[in-house]
Amino acid sequence: MTARTWIGTGGYVFFLVAAAVIAASIGGSIERTLIVFFISLIAVLGMGVYSGNSGILSFGHLAFMGIAAYLSGILTMPVAMKKVTLANAPDFLANAHLNFFSATVVTVIFVMLVALVVGIVISRLDGSSATIATLGLLVIVHGVIIGARDITRGSQSFFGVPRWTDITVAAGCAVLAIVIARLFKDSVFGLKLRASRDDQLAAGAMGVNVRMQRLISWVISAGLVAIAGVLLGHFLGAFSVKKFYFVDTFALLAMLIVGGMATVSGALAGAVLITLVSELLRRIEGGIDVFGFQTPTLFGTTQIGIGLIILLVMYKKAGGLLDRLEWDEILLPRLAGRQTGPAASVVEAPVVALEGTLEAREITKAFDGLVALDKVSLSLKSGEIVGLIGPNGSGKTTLLNVLSGMLPETSGKSFIDGADVTGTPAYRLGGMGVSRTFQNIRLFSSMSVRQNVSVSALDKWPLTKGRAAGAIVDLALQTMKLTEVSEVQASTLSYGDQRRVEVARALALNPRFLFLDEPAAGMNREETDALLEDLKGLRERFGMGILIVDHDLPLIMKLCDRVVVLNEGHVIAEGAPQSVQKDPQVIEAYLGKKGSRQVAEILTE
Amino acid sequence: MFRKLKLTACLTVGLAMAAFPTAVSADEIIIGTATGQTGGLAPYDGPAMQGFQIAVDEINAAGGIGGKHKIKLISKDTRSDAAQTSIVAQELIDSGISVLVTPSDADPSFAAAALATDAKIPAFSPAASSPTLPMMGGDYMFANFPGDNVQATVSAEWAHKQGLKNAYVLYSPDTQYTTLPLYFSDVFKKLGNTVAGEGTYTIGQQDFSAEVTKIKAMNPPVDVVMTAAYEPDFPAFIRQLRAAGVTAQVIGSDGIDSPTTFSLGEAAEGVVFSTAGHATSGSALEGFNKKFAAKYGKETDTIFSAIGYDLMKVIEAGVLAADSIEPQAIRDAVANLENVEGVTSMITYKGTTGMPVRQVTLIRVKDGGRELVAQPSPTADLVPAPRMQ
Repeated sequence: MTARTWIGTGGYVFFLVAAAVIAASIGGSIERTLIVFFISLIAVLGMGVYSGNSGILSFGHLAFMGIAAYLSGILTMPVAMKKVTLANAPDFLANAHLNFFSATVVTVIFVMLVALVVGIVISRLDGSSATIATLGLLVIVHGVIIGARDITRGSQSFFGVPRWTDITVAAGCAVLAIVIARLFKDSVFGLKLRASRDDQLAAGAMGVNVRMQRLISWVISAGLVAIAGVLLGHFLGAFSVKKFYFVDTFALLAMLIVGGMATVSGALAGAVLITLVSELLRRIEGGIDVFGFQTPTLFGTTQIGIGLIILLVMYKKAGGLLDRLEWDEILLPRLAGRQTGPAASVVEAPVVALEGTLEAREITKAFDGLVALDKVSLSLKSGEIVGLIGPNGSGKTTLLNVLSGMLPETSGKSFIDGADVTGTPAYRLGGMGVSRTFQNIRLFSSMSVRQNVSVSALDKWPLTKGRAAGAIVDLALQTMKLTEVSEVQASTLSYGDQRRVEVARALALNPRFLFLDEPAAGMNREETDALLEDLKGLRERFGMGILIVDHDLPLIMKLCDRVVVLNEGHVIAEGAPQSVQKDPQVIEAYLGKKGSRQVAEILTE
Repeated sequence: MFRKLKLTACLTVGLAMAAFPTAVSADEIIIGTATGQTGGLAPYDGPAMQGFQIAVDEINAAGGIGGKHKIKLISKDTRSDAAQTSIVAQELIDSGISVLVTPSDADPSFAAAALATDAKIPAFSPAASSPTLPMMGGDYMFANFPGDNVQATVSAEWAHKQGLKNAYVLYSPDTQYTTLPLYFSDVFKKLGNTVAGEGTYTIGQQDFSAEVTKIKAMNPPVDVVMTAAYEPDFPAFIRQLRAAGVTAQVIGSDGIDSPTTFSLGEAAEGVVFSTAGHATSGSALEGFNKKFAAKYGKETDTIFSAIGYDLMKVIEAGVLAADSIEPQAIRDAVANLENVEGVTSMITYKGTTGMPVRQVTLIRVKDGGRELVAQPSPTADLVPAPRMQ
């Protein structure tokens, strides 16, 4: 947590409390409007905790809101009332009569448990399949509520819920929700989840268990939305299941999307904007007196107006009003990255176990009929730099993907220090000291350079404390000469710098085995030479083994202790750079039979 | 930038003017309507408020209620949403209304009823037919439609008089309204007849082959089938029933009082259903329909517009009886109203829990048109108590 996070959070709290105080002093319908606003805000923030950080749109959160409204309604309704309206309810519910606070706690816990069970399934899905699954959740819960007539009165009005939600309770819960949402976003969980939103594969390679992070945020967001459901039930006193279906789902999603899903400030801005606009238009549509002229009554103006606002915002700013930065990050850029704790002044190189071997034995990888790797064996010792070369399509990147756990092998085994790690998922291999960069840069593009590197530095959190992770980040940034740009958004950096961030991010995992996939691609000779020195430095300083794929043969020849040559999925040569260079098979693989003799002559000169 | 400022200024002025309604003279009665003019309730609340407006204009043209209380109408849209209803209702209460009109659906009406009760202001739902609403909504909540239990009683009494003896009722537990046949079942049995079966369906089910097979196989044969199903279930059911060769009398309820029913052709011929009124020639309802056409330039296609008109007549009668525009006095007067002359029916609140005693109209589908069967009032002793489940 940075100082700025706290300032930002404090700003929200001040805004909400001020709004509540003003509304309470005016009273009447303004107060009720604010209560509804607070309830919507809590729901939107809850949805944002999941959708904003994971990037997966959810249509299902109203299901949690519905479950919460019904459950807390049943728990708090006077027993005599339940005897009349819910005559067939099971005894433990019929006789329950809790106060507001206990009912809320019980309800939120129950909803989070439901979310946990559902989330175990949904967190396994990606992108639009997850979204469709949430839609299924909404439809199923809607059906179950109608079906559970004995406790919900089916699709009839569910009434007799004590009306306990006042402006104080609503504002208090909204403050709680916004603090939770912001702290979650800036927490380690939030950071890792946002990394997976920007690039799921890279996040996995940096040790992020994406499913787990999604599940955590799903459960927390369900808890927040449950609070909104409890408040809504106790505000209305009577509701039916249609209150928790598509119409309200889209109304709340509109707030989230217009404001900007990715930020807490966006959720707040969206809720404020939509509420303000609808309140304004609502007053006009009934017909008003403007300087003696009566305007006509045009019901529907509000919906049309809100529709236009959504169109306008989406047209101008597809990510929403506040699509990337929180209000404090926009207004207080200078406070960036200042840690609450004292900065680590001396950066120690982390201790790396020097001895270690990564070994691949007879790895075969087939994509349907196409055999990309055919019984490839390879070993990498710590402290060793091995070059992996071969023509395009020879299987180099596929090999890296298999070794880093991103692709399952068809057959063969891999070992770390003799232990079988075949089939271990990427995020766990990350924890075992395997780290990598990507051929086509895969940074967490919406995040700053420091945040990019922090994702991997926090791999062992909470075992590694946040401050220790901060030191690792500083070291990685220093090593790759990125300290100056640490607060810059990664995607705005130059190509060369983005490559360096990739390396820095891989380093922050404290790897014993580092895979570099074409680190020199797109670099000129000077940049490549500088990279060469940096990479040599890495080995000297940290002692890890490096497996490097590149087409820049001079770089490979100067850097590597050993070179492995792949062609069409086979290892065709292996050995010291000089000997591999002269191998006729290698030359032939690169240039075909015709040109090979000429080149061989040139190379041997 | 300047244009933006100007726009903002205009909006602000407009907003300020809307927020502070123009001063009201002491004798003026303010009526607030918080109804669903957009969204799911618009087909009911829209026409109801059009009819309501006709009555307001008429009364004001004649100098106000009793010649002294002009009506100031504040209309607001609830977007058919319960939370919005609660905001709008509070807004209306804050602006000093004497009477509140709530949506034609139970949930938002419940939300508004709670506020009306706190403020001691009488509230009326134009077309809600569930007797549970005024009963559980408190002393200040009234409805203005023939209740489900009243409609069912009239239908059962009619079937009994026709000599029908063996009924099958088809209901859906999905909503209060679609359980109306259970009231029919109670009354029909009380009259000494048998109910051979009570079948259920799910709203939107549309495939009724299992139910139809069951009805067809009944021994002794079923001579009357009662259901409160409406579109799209009713058309599907009646087609499948007739296709299977079942010729028993079918009785429906006001949910099928729609153009669709009359366009079903042979399948719907002979179906009898209960509704709120019928415009026989020379009747008050026919007179209202003409006024409606004159004001809005088109024929009304639903009974809800007349129901809205009648609601204003009830309020008028309440104010006259109370000789006051004080909300509590109006509420007490309405609770004791007897035989208010509406265009759909005589309306009585005395002795009820807020669900009026009204005549019910029975219509038969004949040659794709309406045939008036009867317009009876139910036998009071037979009307079943509102059911909670």
